[in-house]
Amino acid sequence: MSKSLYVQAINRALHEEMDRDPDVLCIGEDIGPMGGLFGATRGLHERFGAERVIDTPISEAGYTGAAIGMAMEGLRPVVEIQFADFVTVAFDQLNTVAAKMHFLLSGLAKVPLVVRLPYGVNLAGEGYMSGHGPHHSQSPEAWFCHMAGMKVVMPSGPADALGLLKAAIRDNSPVMFFEQKGLYETASEALPEGEHVVPIGKAAVVCEGSDVTVIATGATVGLARAVAERLRAEGVSLEVVDPRTLVPLDTEALVASAIKTGRVVITHEAPSTGGFGGEIAARIAEQAFGRLHAPIRRVCGLDMPVPDGKNNALPNEERIEAAVRNVLESG
Amino acid sequence: MTSDLARFYQQMYVIRRLEETLLEMFSAGEINGTTHTCIGQEATAAGVISHLDSERDVIFSNHRCHGHYVAFTDDVEGLIAEVTGRTTGTCGGKGGSQHLCRGNFYSNGIQGSIVPVATGIALAERERKSGAVTTVFIGDGTLGQGALYECLNMASLWRLPLMVVVENNHYAQSTPEELAVSGSISARAAAFGIPTAEITTTDVEEIHATAGSAVERIRATGEPFFMVLDTYRFSPHSKGDDTRDPAEIEARRASSDPIALIADRLDPELRADIEQAAERRVADAREAALAAPVAGAVQA
Ligand SMILES: Cc1ncc(C[n+]2csc(CCOP(=O)(O)OP(=O)(O)O)c2C)c(N)n1
Ligand SMILES: [Mg+2]
Repeated sequence: MSKSLYVQAINRALHEEMDRDPDVLCIGEDIGPMGGLFGATRGLHERFGAERVIDTPISEAGYTGAAIGMAMEGLRPVVEIQFADFVTVAFDQLNTVAAKMHFLLSGLAKVPLVVRLPYGVNLAGEGYMSGHGPHHSQSPEAWFCHMAGMKVVMPSGPADALGLLKAAIRDNSPVMFFEQKGLYETASEALPEGEHVVPIGKAAVVCEGSDVTVIATGATVGLARAVAERLRAEGVSLEVVDPRTLVPLDTEALVASAIKTGRVVITHEAPSTGGFGGEIAARIAEQAFGRLHAPIRRVCGLDMPVPDGKNNALPNEERIEAAVRNVLESG
Repeated sequence: MTSDLARFYQQMYVIRRLEETLLEMFSAGEINGTTHTCIGQEATAAGVISHLDSERDVIFSNHRCHGHYVAFTDDVEGLIAEVTGRTTGTCGGKGGSQHLCRGNFYSNGIQGSIVPVATGIALAERERKSGAVTTVFIGDGTLGQGALYECLNMASLWRLPLMVVVENNHYAQSTPEELAVSGSISARAAAFGIPTAEITTTDVEEIHATAGSAVERIRATGEPFFMVLDTYRFSPHSKGDDTRDPAEIEARRASSDPIALIADRLDPELRADIEQAAERRVADAREAALAAPVAGAVQA
């Protein structure tokens, strides 16, 4: 079977959902004839027309808010924010309205909104996605995890991107959908044929192991997997777990793996301070403290804006491997 | 003594060659990340900024900032080194193409968010009685950002020495002006009681004259001014991403290339000297940048 890229998987999910449900529409900057900055909406304009693939002015607050209004009326808008970084312009709409509407109206109002957020950089440090400096490289998922009322989804590969985006579009809550933009053109795998929906809120064990659990999201899953392969030759067995959804978090799966191995490393691209790794560490500590043989370690972005170009500000295989060795040695 | 015209030609030519070189370097894999060039729009930088004093006045530019930067600072070397991620770059190689900051020059990659900050800078400069004019450059697409209108209101209410320059190149990435900008651009500022000027040529001498009256007015009254300049970029939005009709681009290149427009007004010998010097300067800057240390390791 031929392989699909991460960006193609997203494109397929949009096509399938727009085909399936006439209430689904896309809205954002340059998503029409251009097909989106990263090509995720390619072909949608030709297929579904300008009324369902709406090109907007550079007005994130305006069109995100408008999408919330459409969602309250029963449509299912999928907003593309060109770079996740620009979501700050629409923050008020998302926090004040989208995240709270369901609660304020005692569950009567649904906000079936998806916001697609290309985030991060190509961690291999190559080419166009290798970093655009501090305004185009951030991983801002934690902001939304803290909002209460949002679901937060972060697929690490094409099949999950396809299945989770379809689930997000069908969900009646606002979903912040984080697409790792370094993966768009680099991650590829064969996609399941036919309907493929991945439930929101379920972690995946990417590879099984017994010595150390590495919990990774987005592009750091690939790094963790590479480290697992390398260390296998030395007889060290890593279990890589990808939460896939941060809110709601599959705590049970993460704790089960932590108990199984007794050693945990958590890695993500976002800075460690206030990053979601802290929440994961806290939950494991709350539920499995006595079963751990070593302190939990985090391998995250450094606590600084992301610099331009190649540098050491973001996680890499070496740092993950060092953390794994550290938890193996300490206990 | 160099005439205004010779200075404009020199600046525009250096900016043009610098940016063509950057695009070449991208293709050669000498640069990662992204860049936005102002090829075709150089007259705005040269014509407007010649009225500003880099010791006193302040500029806040956007993602397409190379021309503004060079016209204000003449720092060709720092720019190339920054875009190639070298420690010798304007920001030590940490910012890249759309984060050039040096002295009174700032730039930023988020549409519109520069306008509030420029408003605050104008207010601070007024408080300090520095006599500075703060200039913020935005594109037609950036007219979509609500923060702009909040600031036009405040700048007018508070009588701030702020000059807003809209470089209308008729596109925001793939989006043509017709799909993004309703009504009249200058009437938007006029509605806040801000005086406006609109120019429909890329002739640097005309831009220079209009900008001169604008800056003079701001210095005399301390009040804001809003200027709309018609322009066109001959290059893609950043690198390969161009959805415009090639015939349209060619037509604009033939009719409104700001460098070609004034070339004949210069003495041919002087012109050749200017061109040669610019070629040499850009080539040397490229070589120096590539020889400089890469800005790699950072510390939190
Ligand atoms: C808030 C925000 N939204 C979107 C972008 C992505 N973006 C960068 S440049 C650009 C187009 C800007 O158009 P315009 O203001 O006309 O300037 P031009 O590129 O034509 O110089 C867009 C959409 C951004 N940088 N910031
Ligand atoms: Mg424009």
